[in-house]
Amino acid sequence: MRRLSTLAWQIAIGLAALAVWEWGWDLHATVPWLVPELLDPYFVSKPSMIFSHFLRMSCLVSSDDQWTWDMAGGFAKCMARSENNLWIATWVTLQNTLWGFATGVSSGFALGLLLGRSDRLSEIFYPYITAFNSIPRIALAPIIILAFGIGDASKIVTAWLVVVFLVFFNTFEGARSVDRDHINASRLLGASEWQVTRTVIVPSTMAWLFASLSPAISFSLIGVIVGEFIGAEHGIGRMIIEAGARGEAAGMMVAVFVLAIVGVILSSIVRRIQAYLLRWRPAQATGAT
Amino acid sequence: MPSIPPEGTAAARCRIEIEALRKSFRSAAHQGGGEVVAVDDASFRIDDGEFVALLGPSGCGKSTILNMVATLIAPNGGAIRVDGVPVVPGRPIRHIGYVFQKDTLFPWRTVEDNIGYALELAGVPAAERRLKVERAIHQAGLDGFGRFYPSSLSGGMRQRVSLMRTLISEPEILLMDEPFGALDTHTKLDMHSVLLELWENTRQTVLFVTHDLGEALTLADRIILMSARPGRVKQDFKVDFARPRNAVTLRETREYAELFSKIWHSLGEEFAKGHSE
Repeated sequence: MRRLSTLAWQIAIGLAALAVWEWGWDLHATVPWLVPELLDPYFVSKPSMIFSHFLRMSCLVSSDDQWTWDMAGGFAKCMARSENNLWIATWVTLQNTLWGFATGVSSGFALGLLLGRSDRLSEIFYPYITAFNSIPRIALAPIIILAFGIGDASKIVTAWLVVVFLVFFNTFEGARSVDRDHINASRLLGASEWQVTRTVIVPSTMAWLFASLSPAISFSLIGVIVGEFIGAEHGIGRMIIEAGARGEAAGMMVAVFVLAIVGVILSSIVRRIQAYLLRWRPAQATGAT
Repeated sequence: MPSIPPEGTAAARCRIEIEALRKSFRSAAHQGGGEVVAVDDASFRIDDGEFVALLGPSGCGKSTILNMVATLIAPNGGAIRVDGVPVVPGRPIRHIGYVFQKDTLFPWRTVEDNIGYALELAGVPAAERRLKVERAIHQAGLDGFGRFYPSSLSGGMRQRVSLMRTLISEPEILLMDEPFGALDTHTKLDMHSVLLELWENTRQTVLFVTHDLGEALTLADRIILMSARPGRVKQDFKVDFARPRNAVTLRETREYAELFSKIWHSLGEEFAKGHSE
């Protein structure tokens, strides 16, 4: 019952917001004090315009508003016309996000484990890590574009840079807080040093790694988009910049909505994987990230 | 290898020998930073197949002795020999098993994977491992819980898994550090029955640390009573109740009551000393 009423409220608020967005500006002429300037469609467009833009940008309708699946080869022709159509842009951004995530998570985990288990190494690298960590990673994006060009590599490096620190710090903390008694128990049950690492230190550190996966995927997406803002040929970030340059609010909004959808899907997949991998935890702790 | 004397001779093979053992810790700075002597001049020996309880008030150093035998901490003086060989701190002995007071099950492993852990380390083939694990699960009365994670088990069940995790590699010597200390009375009695049944079939050499006199009387052949800090061996009692024992009905017998009150008096003196400190 409570869930139903929550859902009803959520839908009602969503519809109300859309309605204000769609028709709010029409009231501006009659009651100007009620409607803020921000609702001007020039800045924020309108849901109906955004939707028709979406149909055109995704090649579902042609430029003369005909459904492309009614025309022989219409969809393919429309797709071929634009280098950075919505499908290609989404695919490129998604791919780079996943690469940034994968490289960032694996290298962050390896580094965190290494430094977390070696007092000597962490002592030596401590000042460098804290110094590097205090730089907003995004500030390095222009340098990365300069160094790696406007192709996919620079986006992956930017995403990697954002993800690797997050994962590193989590893993580092985890590797330091491995339960002494688990290590003792393992040794007393006959484990060699290598077996202790493989069967106790890695799995208990993994728990900390998994907790960082869902912020890591969001960070990776942010890294890719920022990289695309600065210089790219494809991608959703590039699409936003292009539409902005043309003063096309609807086009920017389409890109933002697609991003939101990509973000939601990615993080829900990661959360699911995370819940599965951490299924051994007590129930109340599983949902927390 | 020391020779094993023939069955029935008075001189059974000595498995654990502790001689003038001493351990001190540096106390925290706010307590003066001085030396605290936890164990002082402790000596005793345990023969093959004996179940010995190390009994004493908390803080008397009994767990410290156990941890020194397990090579988890290094003594400051004296000697520990297992089967005549001096132990080296940090080098656990293969045929010694250890059961912790704290829950040290690996939470990311299921019950069966926890129990089979030592076999996995030793490279026992999966098929053979599965068979042994299944038998261990059955012996501990955990049928049907093999695929559960420790987080969904009760304290008593977790301690059973701990016990089987240690017993599965069939250690000849078993060190137990107040393994049932955190359990409620009923669960504790339950665990006594489980342990008695398992042990009376295998007869490993056991050193069992406890502060619970009833527990010591129920399980052990011998009780070594420790004095309050600094821990020394105060008295050595023989517990010759018939085996197999019943953990519940044993407590109703007269000889149990007699021995209980005899040791209780001696133990009470140590508790009092511990408090007056």
